Amino acid sequence: MYEQIASNRAKTVFIIIGFIAFITAVGFAVGYYVDYRYGINSSYSILFMVFALILAIIMSFSSYYYSDKIVLGLTRARPISREENPQIYYMVEGLSIAAGLPMPRIYMIEDEGMNAFATGRNPQNSVIVFTRGLLDNLDDEELKGVISHELSHVKNYDILLGTIVVILVGMITIISNIILRSFIFGGRGRRSDRSSGGGILTLIFLIVGIALLILSPIIATLIRLAISRNREFLADSTGALVSRYPAGLANALKKISKHSEVRTASSATAHLFIANPFGSKSKVMFSNLFNTHPPTEERIRRLESMSLGVGVK
Amino acid sequence: MVTGVIVVIAVISGIVILLILIGIGIYNSIVSLRNKVDNSWHQIDVQLRKRYDLIPNLVETVKGYAKHEMETLQNVINARKIGIDAKTVKEQAKAENMITETLKSLFALSENYPNLKADQHFLRLMEQLNGIESNIAYARQFYNDMVMQLNTRIQIFPGNIFARIFNFTARDYFEIEEIAAREPVKVQF
Repeated sequence: MYEQIASNRAKTVFIIIGFIAFITAVGFAVGYYVDYRYGINSSYSILFMVFALILAIIMSFSSYYYSDKIVLGLTRARPISREENPQIYYMVEGLSIAAGLPMPRIYMIEDEGMNAFATGRNPQNSVIVFTRGLLDNLDDEELKGVISHELSHVKNYDILLGTIVVILVGMITIISNIILRSFIFGGRGRRSDRSSGGGILTLIFLIVGIALLILSPIIATLIRLAISRNREFLADSTGALVSRYPAGLANALKKISKHSEVRTASSATAHLFIANPFGSKSKVMFSNLFNTHPPTEERIRRLESMSLGVGVK
Repeated sequence: MVTGVIVVIAVISGIVILLILIGIGIYNSIVSLRNKVDNSWHQIDVQLRKRYDLIPNLVETVKGYAKHEMETLQNVINARKIGIDAKTVKEQAKAENMITETLKSLFALSENYPNLKADQHFLRLMEQLNGIESNIAYARQFYNDMVMQLNTRIQIFPGNIFARIFNFTARDYFEIEEIAAREPVKVQF
Protein backbone atom coordinates (compact mmCIF):
# COMPACT_ATOMS: atom_id res chain seq x y z
CA MET A 1 0.00 0.00 0.00
CA TYR A 2 2.65 2.52 1.05
CA GLU A 3 4.95 1.40 -1.76
CA GLN A 4 2.05 2.05 -4.09
CA ILE A 5 1.63 5.61 -2.77
CA ALA A 6 5.36 6.28 -3.00
CA SER A 7 5.51 4.90 -6.52
CA ASN A 8 2.54 7.01 -7.62
CA ARG A 9 4.13 10.14 -6.21
CA ALA A 10 7.45 9.32 -7.87
CA LYS A 11 5.72 8.67 -11.19
CA THR A 12 3.86 11.96 -10.90
CA VAL A 13 7.08 13.86 -10.32
CA PHE A 14 8.68 11.96 -13.19
CA ILE A 15 5.83 12.82 -15.55
CA ILE A 16 5.90 16.47 -14.53
CA ILE A 17 9.66 16.65 -15.13
CA GLY A 18 9.23 14.82 -18.43
CA PHE A 19 6.51 17.26 -19.39
CA ILE A 20 8.65 20.30 -18.55
CA ALA A 21 11.59 18.81 -20.48
CA PHE A 22 9.37 18.06 -23.46
CA ILE A 23 7.85 21.54 -23.61
CA THR A 24 11.27 23.14 -23.18
CA ALA A 25 12.66 21.00 -26.00
CA VAL A 26 9.74 21.95 -28.19
CA GLY A 27 10.37 25.61 -27.36
CA PHE A 28 13.98 25.19 -28.35
CA ALA A 29 13.03 23.39 -31.56
CA VAL A 30 10.57 26.11 -32.52
CA GLY A 31 13.14 28.80 -31.74
CA TYR A 32 15.72 26.95 -33.75
CA TYR A 33 13.32 26.65 -36.64
CA VAL A 34 12.57 30.39 -36.50
CA ASP A 35 16.28 31.12 -36.44
CA TYR A 36 16.77 28.84 -39.36
CA ARG A 37 14.01 30.34 -41.45
CA TYR A 38 14.40 34.02 -40.71
CA GLY A 39 18.02 33.85 -39.68
CA ILE A 40 18.22 37.25 -37.93
CA ASN A 41 20.26 36.05 -34.99
CA SER A 42 20.67 32.71 -33.37
CA SER A 43 19.11 33.94 -30.12
CA TYR A 44 15.51 32.87 -30.75
CA SER A 45 16.20 29.29 -29.78
CA ILE A 46 17.33 30.34 -26.28
CA LEU A 47 14.55 32.88 -25.92
CA PHE A 48 11.88 30.38 -26.93
CA MET A 49 13.37 27.74 -24.70
CA VAL A 50 13.32 29.96 -21.60
CA PHE A 51 9.82 31.08 -22.39
CA ALA A 52 8.70 27.46 -22.85
CA LEU A 53 10.37 26.44 -19.60
CA ILE A 54 8.57 29.14 -17.62
CA LEU A 55 5.31 28.28 -19.33
CA ALA A 56 5.76 24.56 -18.63
CA ILE A 57 6.44 25.18 -14.94
CA ILE A 58 3.35 27.37 -14.63
CA MET A 59 1.27 24.76 -16.46
CA SER A 60 2.57 21.98 -14.21
CA PHE A 61 1.73 23.87 -11.05
CA SER A 62 -1.70 24.88 -12.23
CA SER A 63 -2.48 21.36 -13.40
CA TYR A 64 -1.46 20.05 -9.97
CA TYR A 65 -3.87 22.40 -8.23
CA TYR A 66 -6.70 22.62 -10.76
CA SER A 67 -6.61 19.34 -12.65
CA ASP A 68 -9.59 17.94 -10.71
CA LYS A 69 -11.69 20.95 -11.70
CA ILE A 70 -10.61 20.60 -15.32
CA VAL A 71 -11.49 16.90 -15.32
CA LEU A 72 -14.86 17.57 -13.70
CA GLY A 73 -15.49 20.25 -16.32
CA LEU A 74 -14.40 18.02 -19.20
CA THR A 75 -16.78 15.26 -18.14
CA ARG A 76 -19.54 17.75 -17.29
CA ALA A 77 -19.96 16.51 -13.74
CA ARG A 78 -21.96 18.52 -11.19
CA PRO A 79 -21.99 18.26 -7.39
CA ILE A 80 -24.86 16.45 -5.72
CA SER A 81 -26.14 17.64 -2.37
CA ARG A 82 -26.88 15.57 0.69
CA GLU A 83 -30.58 16.45 0.39
CA GLU A 84 -30.71 15.28 -3.19
CA ASN A 85 -29.36 11.81 -2.48
CA PRO A 86 -28.89 11.13 1.27
CA GLN A 87 -28.42 7.44 0.61
CA ILE A 88 -25.23 7.84 -1.39
CA TYR A 89 -23.90 10.25 1.24
CA TYR A 90 -24.48 7.69 4.00
CA MET A 91 -22.66 5.03 2.02
CA VAL A 92 -19.68 7.17 1.00
CA GLU A 93 -19.39 8.55 4.53
CA GLY A 94 -19.40 5.11 6.11
CA LEU A 95 -16.97 3.55 3.67
CA SER A 96 -14.55 6.46 3.88
CA ILE A 97 -14.54 5.97 7.65
CA ALA A 98 -13.79 2.28 7.07
CA ALA A 99 -10.97 3.18 4.69
CA GLY A 100 -9.66 5.80 7.11
CA LEU A 101 -10.08 8.63 4.60
CA PRO A 102 -11.66 12.07 4.83
CA MET A 103 -15.06 12.37 3.19
CA PRO A 104 -14.66 13.02 -0.55
CA ARG A 105 -16.93 15.38 -2.46
CA ILE A 106 -19.61 13.67 -4.54
CA TYR A 107 -20.37 14.60 -8.14
CA MET A 108 -22.66 13.21 -10.79
CA ILE A 109 -22.69 13.01 -14.59
CA GLU A 110 -26.12 13.09 -16.23
CA ASP A 111 -25.76 9.96 -18.33
CA GLU A 112 -27.65 6.69 -18.41
CA GLY A 113 -24.43 4.74 -18.91
CA MET A 114 -23.15 3.12 -15.72
CA ASN A 115 -19.72 4.31 -14.73
CA ALA A 116 -17.74 6.11 -12.02
CA PHE A 117 -14.33 7.63 -11.36
CA ALA A 118 -12.36 9.47 -8.71
CA THR A 119 -10.16 12.52 -9.11
CA GLY A 120 -8.23 15.07 -7.05
CA ARG A 121 -4.64 15.59 -5.97
CA ASN A 122 -4.81 13.97 -2.50
CA PRO A 123 -7.38 12.37 -0.18
CA GLN A 124 -8.17 15.76 1.38
CA ASN A 125 -9.13 17.12 -2.03
CA SER A 126 -10.74 14.11 -3.60
CA VAL A 127 -13.93 13.84 -5.62
CA ILE A 128 -15.91 10.74 -6.51
CA VAL A 129 -18.06 10.99 -9.62
CA PHE A 130 -20.96 8.68 -10.45
CA THR A 131 -23.17 8.62 -13.50
CA ARG A 132 -26.91 8.83 -13.01
CA GLY A 133 -27.23 5.42 -14.62
CA LEU A 134 -24.98 3.92 -11.97
CA LEU A 135 -26.90 5.44 -9.06
CA ASP A 136 -30.23 4.38 -10.56
CA ASN A 137 -29.42 0.82 -11.55
CA LEU A 138 -27.18 -0.62 -8.84
CA ASP A 139 -28.41 -1.89 -5.50
CA ASP A 140 -26.79 -0.81 -2.22
CA GLU A 141 -24.26 -3.65 -2.00
CA GLU A 142 -23.15 -3.06 -5.59
CA LEU A 143 -22.84 0.67 -5.03
CA LYS A 144 -20.76 0.04 -1.92
CA GLY A 145 -18.48 -2.15 -4.04
CA VAL A 146 -18.00 0.66 -6.57
CA ILE A 147 -17.48 3.29 -3.85
CA SER A 148 -14.85 1.10 -2.14
CA HIS A 149 -13.06 0.66 -5.46
CA GLU A 150 -12.95 4.42 -5.99
CA LEU A 151 -11.87 5.04 -2.40
CA SER A 152 -8.95 2.67 -2.98
CA HIS A 153 -7.87 4.81 -5.92
CA VAL A 154 -8.03 7.80 -3.58
CA LYS A 155 -6.03 6.03 -0.89
CA ASN A 156 -3.35 4.82 -3.34
CA TYR A 157 -2.93 8.29 -4.86
CA ASP A 158 -3.92 6.80 -8.21
CA ILE A 159 -6.13 9.86 -8.55
CA LEU A 160 -3.15 12.23 -8.46
CA LEU A 161 -1.27 10.41 -11.20
CA GLY A 162 -4.35 9.70 -13.31
CA THR A 163 -5.57 13.29 -13.17
CA ILE A 164 -2.18 14.89 -13.82
CA VAL A 165 -1.80 12.60 -16.82
CA VAL A 166 -5.12 13.83 -18.25
CA ILE A 167 -3.92 17.41 -18.26
CA LEU A 168 -0.25 17.07 -19.12
CA VAL A 169 -0.67 14.42 -21.79
CA GLY A 170 -3.60 16.37 -23.15
CA MET A 171 -1.44 19.48 -23.44
CA ILE A 172 1.41 17.56 -25.10
CA THR A 173 -1.01 16.20 -27.66
CA ILE A 174 -2.45 19.63 -28.40
CA ILE A 175 0.96 21.31 -28.66
CA SER A 176 2.44 18.61 -30.85
CA ASN A 177 -0.57 18.80 -33.14
CA ILE A 178 -0.21 22.56 -33.52
CA ILE A 179 3.50 22.37 -34.23
CA LEU A 180 3.20 19.43 -36.55
CA ARG A 181 0.63 21.30 -38.57
CA SER A 182 2.64 24.48 -38.73
CA PHE A 183 5.62 22.45 -39.92
CA ILE A 184 3.61 20.74 -42.61
CA PHE A 185 1.66 23.73 -43.87
CA GLY A 186 4.14 26.51 -43.13
CA GLY A 187 7.29 24.78 -44.20
CA ARG A 188 6.91 25.12 -47.95
CA GLY A 189 9.07 27.38 -50.12
CA ARG A 190 10.92 30.38 -48.71
CA ARG A 191 13.92 28.30 -47.96
CA SER A 192 15.77 29.63 -50.98
CA ASP A 193 15.77 33.18 -49.56
CA ARG A 194 18.54 32.42 -47.20
CA SER A 195 21.92 30.95 -47.46
CA SER A 196 22.06 27.28 -46.61
CA GLY A 197 24.02 27.88 -43.42
CA GLY A 198 22.71 25.20 -41.04
CA GLY A 199 23.27 22.52 -43.61
CA ILE A 200 23.01 18.89 -42.73
CA LEU A 201 22.88 19.46 -38.94
CA THR A 202 19.72 21.54 -39.23
CA LEU A 203 18.12 18.96 -41.45
CA ILE A 204 18.83 16.20 -38.93
CA PHE A 205 17.47 18.38 -36.17
CA LEU A 206 14.25 19.02 -38.06
CA ILE A 207 13.81 15.33 -38.81
CA VAL A 208 14.36 14.41 -35.17
CA GLY A 209 11.98 17.16 -34.11
CA ILE A 210 9.25 16.00 -36.45
CA ALA A 211 9.77 12.38 -35.44
CA LEU A 212 9.41 13.37 -31.80
CA LEU A 213 6.23 15.23 -32.55
CA ILE A 214 4.75 12.32 -34.44
CA LEU A 215 5.78 9.95 -31.68
CA SER A 216 4.44 12.02 -28.81
CA PRO A 217 0.79 10.96 -29.07
CA ILE A 218 1.97 7.36 -29.10
CA ILE A 219 4.16 8.01 -26.08
CA ALA A 220 1.21 9.65 -24.40
CA THR A 221 -0.96 6.60 -25.10
CA LEU A 222 1.67 4.31 -23.70
CA ILE A 223 1.99 6.35 -20.51
CA ARG A 224 -1.73 6.16 -20.03
CA LEU A 225 -1.75 2.41 -20.52
CA ALA A 226 1.14 1.89 -18.17
CA ILE A 227 -0.58 3.63 -15.34
CA SER A 228 -4.04 2.19 -15.69
CA ARG A 229 -4.44 -1.53 -16.13
CA ASN A 230 -2.84 -3.17 -13.14
CA ARG A 231 -4.12 -0.60 -10.74
CA GLU A 232 -7.67 -1.54 -11.61
CA PHE A 233 -7.01 -5.04 -10.26
CA LEU A 234 -5.31 -3.56 -7.24
CA ALA A 235 -8.17 -1.17 -6.53
CA ASP A 236 -10.63 -4.07 -6.93
CA SER A 237 -8.91 -6.10 -4.26
CA THR A 238 -8.21 -3.20 -1.88
CA GLY A 239 -11.79 -2.09 -2.37
CA ALA A 240 -13.01 -5.55 -1.46
CA LEU A 241 -11.01 -5.28 1.76
CA VAL A 242 -12.78 -2.03 2.59
CA SER A 243 -16.31 -3.18 1.81
CA ARG A 244 -15.57 -6.72 3.11
CA TYR A 245 -17.85 -7.98 0.35
CA PRO A 246 -16.09 -8.74 -2.96
CA ALA A 247 -19.32 -10.04 -4.50
CA GLY A 248 -20.81 -6.52 -4.33
CA LEU A 249 -18.24 -5.17 -6.77
CA ALA A 250 -18.32 -8.35 -8.88
CA ASN A 251 -22.08 -8.01 -9.35
CA ALA A 252 -21.71 -4.29 -10.02
CA LEU A 253 -19.11 -4.96 -12.72
CA LYS A 254 -21.41 -7.49 -14.35
CA LYS A 255 -24.13 -4.87 -14.62
CA ILE A 256 -21.74 -2.07 -15.58
CA SER A 257 -20.07 -4.04 -18.35
CA LYS A 258 -23.38 -4.28 -20.19
CA HIS A 259 -23.74 -0.52 -20.48
CA SER A 260 -20.72 1.50 -19.40
CA GLU A 261 -20.72 4.12 -22.19
CA VAL A 262 -20.40 7.72 -21.04
CA ARG A 263 -20.95 10.35 -23.71
CA THR A 264 -18.82 13.04 -22.07
CA ALA A 265 -15.79 10.78 -21.69
CA SER A 266 -12.90 11.26 -24.10
CA SER A 267 -9.70 9.39 -24.78
CA ALA A 268 -8.01 11.84 -22.39
CA THR A 269 -10.18 10.86 -19.43
CA ALA A 270 -11.03 7.23 -20.29
CA HIS A 271 -8.39 5.71 -18.02
CA LEU A 272 -9.94 7.31 -14.94
CA PHE A 273 -13.20 5.38 -15.17
CA ILE A 274 -13.98 2.13 -13.36
CA ALA A 275 -14.99 0.48 -16.65
CA ASN A 276 -14.20 1.43 -20.24
CA PRO A 277 -16.44 4.47 -20.96
CA PHE A 278 -16.50 3.61 -24.66
CA GLY A 279 -18.20 0.33 -23.91
CA SER A 280 -16.74 -3.13 -24.14
CA LYS A 281 -18.29 -4.02 -27.47
CA SER A 282 -15.91 -2.12 -29.75
CA LYS A 283 -13.59 -5.08 -30.23
CA VAL A 284 -10.99 -4.37 -32.84
CA MET A 285 -7.89 -6.37 -33.50
CA PHE A 286 -5.27 -5.77 -30.77
CA SER A 287 -7.90 -3.84 -28.83
CA ASN A 288 -6.83 -5.78 -25.78
CA LEU A 289 -3.32 -4.47 -26.21
CA PHE A 290 -4.38 -0.85 -26.34
CA ASN A 291 -7.24 -0.99 -23.90
CA THR A 292 -7.00 1.19 -20.83
CA HIS A 293 -8.97 -1.34 -18.82
CA PRO A 294 -8.38 -5.01 -18.11
CA PRO A 295 -11.14 -7.31 -19.39
CA THR A 296 -14.11 -7.14 -17.05
CA GLU A 297 -14.53 -10.92 -17.09
CA GLU A 298 -11.05 -11.27 -15.62
CA ARG A 299 -11.79 -8.72 -12.90
CA ILE A 300 -15.05 -10.44 -12.00
CA ARG A 301 -13.32 -13.81 -11.92
CA ARG A 302 -10.68 -12.54 -9.48
CA LEU A 303 -13.30 -10.96 -7.24
CA GLU A 304 -15.35 -14.13 -7.25
CA SER A 305 -12.35 -16.16 -6.19
CA MET A 306 -11.87 -13.69 -3.32
CA SER A 307 -15.46 -14.09 -2.16
CA LEU A 308 -15.39 -17.89 -2.67
CA GLY A 309 -18.59 -17.50 -4.61
CA VAL A 310 -20.56 -16.10 -1.68
CA GLY A 311 -23.24 -13.62 -2.73
CA VAL A 312 -22.41 -13.76 -6.42
CA LYS A 313 -25.41 -13.38 -8.65
CA MET B 1 48.81 -5.05 10.98
CA VAL B 2 47.65 -1.53 11.66
CA THR B 3 45.60 -1.43 8.46
CA GLY B 4 44.02 -4.75 9.43
CA VAL B 5 42.89 -3.32 12.75
CA ILE B 6 41.49 -0.24 11.03
CA VAL B 7 39.53 -2.38 8.58
CA VAL B 8 38.07 -4.46 11.41
CA ILE B 9 37.08 -1.35 13.34
CA ALA B 10 35.55 0.18 10.22
CA VAL B 11 33.53 -2.96 9.50
CA ILE B 12 32.28 -3.25 13.07
CA SER B 13 31.30 0.41 13.30
CA GLY B 14 29.63 0.10 9.90
CA ILE B 15 27.53 -2.79 11.16
CA VAL B 16 26.68 -0.92 14.36
CA ILE B 17 25.56 2.15 12.41
CA LEU B 18 23.47 -0.04 10.11
CA LEU B 19 21.81 -1.73 13.09
CA ILE B 20 21.08 1.64 14.68
CA LEU B 21 19.50 2.88 11.45
CA ILE B 22 17.34 -0.24 11.14
CA GLY B 23 16.39 0.18 14.80
CA ILE B 24 15.32 3.77 14.25
CA GLY B 25 13.23 2.66 11.27
CA ILE B 26 11.43 -0.03 13.27
CA TYR B 27 10.92 2.26 16.26
CA ASN B 28 9.43 4.96 14.04
CA SER B 29 7.15 2.54 12.27
CA ILE B 30 5.78 1.29 15.59
CA VAL B 31 5.18 4.84 16.81
CA SER B 32 3.42 5.80 13.59
CA LEU B 33 1.21 2.71 13.79
CA ARG B 34 0.38 3.52 17.39
CA ASN B 35 -0.63 7.03 16.34
CA LYS B 36 -2.81 5.55 13.62
CA VAL B 37 -4.54 3.36 16.19
CA ASP B 38 -5.14 6.41 18.39
CA ASN B 39 -6.47 8.37 15.46
CA SER B 40 -8.78 5.56 14.39
CA TRP B 41 -10.03 5.29 17.97
CA HIS B 42 -10.83 8.97 17.77
CA GLN B 43 -12.94 8.22 14.68
CA ILE B 44 -15.02 5.75 16.68
CA ASP B 45 -15.27 8.24 19.53
CA VAL B 46 -16.69 10.92 17.24
CA GLN B 47 -19.49 8.58 16.18
CA LEU B 48 -20.17 7.43 19.76
CA ARG B 49 -20.52 11.05 20.95
CA LYS B 50 -22.98 11.75 18.16
CA ARG B 51 -25.03 8.84 19.41
CA TYR B 52 -24.84 9.96 23.06
CA ASP B 53 -26.12 13.36 21.99
CA LEU B 54 -29.13 11.92 20.20
CA ILE B 55 -30.26 9.47 22.89
CA PRO B 56 -31.75 11.97 25.43
CA ASN B 57 -33.68 13.54 22.59
CA LEU B 58 -34.98 10.14 21.54
CA VAL B 59 -35.94 9.19 25.08
CA GLU B 60 -37.92 12.42 25.49
CA THR B 61 -39.75 11.84 22.22
CA VAL B 62 -40.70 8.27 23.10
CA LYS B 63 -41.80 9.31 26.60
CA GLY B 64 -44.40 11.58 25.06
CA TYR B 65 -46.13 8.60 23.43
CA ALA B 66 -45.25 5.60 25.57
CA LYS B 67 -45.17 6.56 29.24
CA HIS B 68 -45.58 2.99 30.43
CA GLU B 69 -42.41 1.73 28.84
CA MET B 70 -40.16 3.25 31.49
CA GLU B 71 -38.14 0.07 31.86
CA THR B 72 -36.99 0.01 28.27
CA LEU B 73 -36.29 3.73 28.35
CA GLN B 74 -34.33 3.40 31.58
CA ASN B 75 -32.23 0.64 30.03
CA VAL B 76 -31.26 2.93 27.18
CA ILE B 77 -30.38 5.74 29.60
CA ASN B 78 -28.32 3.42 31.79
CA ALA B 79 -26.47 1.95 28.83
CA ARG B 80 -25.64 5.45 27.63
CA LYS B 81 -24.27 6.37 31.04
CA ILE B 82 -22.10 3.25 31.16
CA GLY B 83 -20.81 4.14 27.70
CA ILE B 84 -19.91 7.69 28.71
CA ASP B 85 -18.13 6.48 31.86
CA ALA B 86 -16.22 3.70 30.08
CA LYS B 87 -12.45 3.92 30.45
CA THR B 88 -10.98 1.05 28.44
CA VAL B 89 -11.64 -0.20 24.94
CA LYS B 90 -13.17 -3.40 26.33
CA GLU B 91 -15.57 -1.51 28.61
CA GLN B 92 -16.46 0.84 25.80
CA ALA B 93 -17.14 -2.01 23.39
CA LYS B 94 -19.34 -3.70 25.95
CA ALA B 95 -21.28 -0.50 26.67
CA GLU B 96 -21.78 0.25 22.98
CA ASN B 97 -23.10 -3.24 22.36
CA MET B 98 -25.52 -2.64 25.21
CA ILE B 99 -26.68 0.66 23.74
CA THR B 100 -27.20 -0.99 20.37
CA GLU B 101 -29.25 -3.77 21.97
CA THR B 102 -31.37 -1.46 24.11
CA LEU B 103 -32.03 0.82 21.15
CA LYS B 104 -33.13 -2.21 19.18
CA SER B 105 -35.69 -3.09 21.82
CA LEU B 106 -36.81 0.53 21.93
CA PHE B 107 -37.38 0.55 18.19
CA ALA B 108 -39.15 -2.81 18.43
CA LEU B 109 -41.41 -1.33 21.11
CA SER B 110 -42.36 1.55 18.84
CA GLU B 111 -44.21 -1.00 16.70
CA ASN B 112 -46.95 -0.98 19.38
CA TYR B 113 -47.44 2.78 19.21
CA PRO B 114 -48.72 3.86 15.79
CA ASN B 115 -48.67 7.55 16.80
CA LEU B 116 -45.02 7.31 17.79
CA LYS B 117 -44.19 5.52 14.58
CA ALA B 118 -45.80 8.32 12.61
CA ASP B 119 -43.97 11.07 14.49
CA GLN B 120 -41.67 12.89 12.05
CA HIS B 121 -39.18 13.76 14.74
CA PHE B 122 -38.99 10.14 15.89
CA LEU B 123 -38.53 8.90 12.35
CA ARG B 124 -35.71 11.34 11.73
CA LEU B 125 -33.98 10.35 14.97
CA MET B 126 -34.32 6.70 14.07
CA GLU B 127 -32.81 7.30 10.65
CA GLN B 128 -29.92 9.29 12.15
CA LEU B 129 -29.27 6.61 14.75
CA ASN B 130 -29.23 3.93 12.08
CA GLY B 131 -26.75 5.96 10.08
CA ILE B 132 -24.52 6.43 13.11
CA GLU B 133 -24.84 2.75 13.91
CA SER B 134 -23.41 1.77 10.54
CA ASN B 135 -20.71 4.43 10.80
CA ILE B 136 -19.71 2.95 14.15
CA ALA B 137 -19.42 -0.42 12.46
CA TYR B 138 -17.21 1.05 9.73
CA ALA B 139 -15.08 2.98 12.22
CA ARG B 140 -14.72 -0.21 14.27
CA GLN B 141 -13.55 -2.06 11.16
CA PHE B 142 -10.86 0.57 10.49
CA TYR B 143 -9.81 0.64 14.14
CA ASN B 144 -9.50 -3.14 14.29
CA ASP B 145 -7.48 -3.14 11.05
CA MET B 146 -5.06 -0.66 12.58
CA VAL B 147 -4.88 -2.57 15.87
CA MET B 148 -4.09 -5.74 13.95
CA GLN B 149 -1.24 -4.01 12.11
CA LEU B 150 0.19 -2.60 15.35
CA ASN B 151 -0.15 -5.83 17.30
CA THR B 152 1.44 -7.83 14.51
CA ARG B 153 4.32 -5.40 14.29
CA ILE B 154 5.12 -5.54 18.01
CA GLN B 155 4.58 -9.27 18.37
CA ILE B 156 6.78 -10.51 15.54
CA PHE B 157 10.56 -10.41 15.51
CA PRO B 158 12.31 -7.95 15.72
CA GLY B 159 9.48 -5.62 16.71
CA ASN B 160 8.92 -7.64 19.89
CA ILE B 161 12.38 -6.68 21.16
CA PHE B 162 11.64 -2.99 20.67
CA ALA B 163 8.23 -3.40 22.22
CA ARG B 164 9.84 -4.79 25.35
CA ILE B 165 12.55 -2.12 25.53
CA PHE B 166 10.29 0.85 24.88
CA ASN B 167 7.20 -0.60 26.51
CA PHE B 168 4.88 -0.71 23.51
CA THR B 169 1.84 -2.77 24.38
CA ALA B 170 -0.65 -4.59 22.18
CA ARG B 171 -4.04 -2.87 21.92
CA ASP B 172 -7.45 -4.40 22.46
CA TYR B 173 -9.79 -5.01 19.57
CA PHE B 174 -13.17 -3.32 19.60
CA GLU B 175 -15.27 -6.46 19.59
CA ILE B 176 -18.94 -7.15 19.25
CA GLU B 177 -19.95 -9.67 21.85
CA GLU B 178 -23.60 -10.37 21.20
CA ILE B 179 -24.19 -12.51 24.28
CA ALA B 180 -22.28 -10.27 26.66
CA ALA B 181 -24.21 -7.35 25.28
CA ARG B 182 -27.58 -8.86 26.17
CA GLU B 183 -26.78 -10.01 29.67
CA PRO B 184 -26.15 -6.72 31.50
CA VAL B 185 -29.74 -5.64 30.79
CA LYS B 186 -30.93 -7.50 33.84
CA VAL B 187 -28.37 -5.86 36.12
CA GLN B 188 -30.33 -2.80 37.07
CA PHE B 189 -33.61 -4.36 38.23
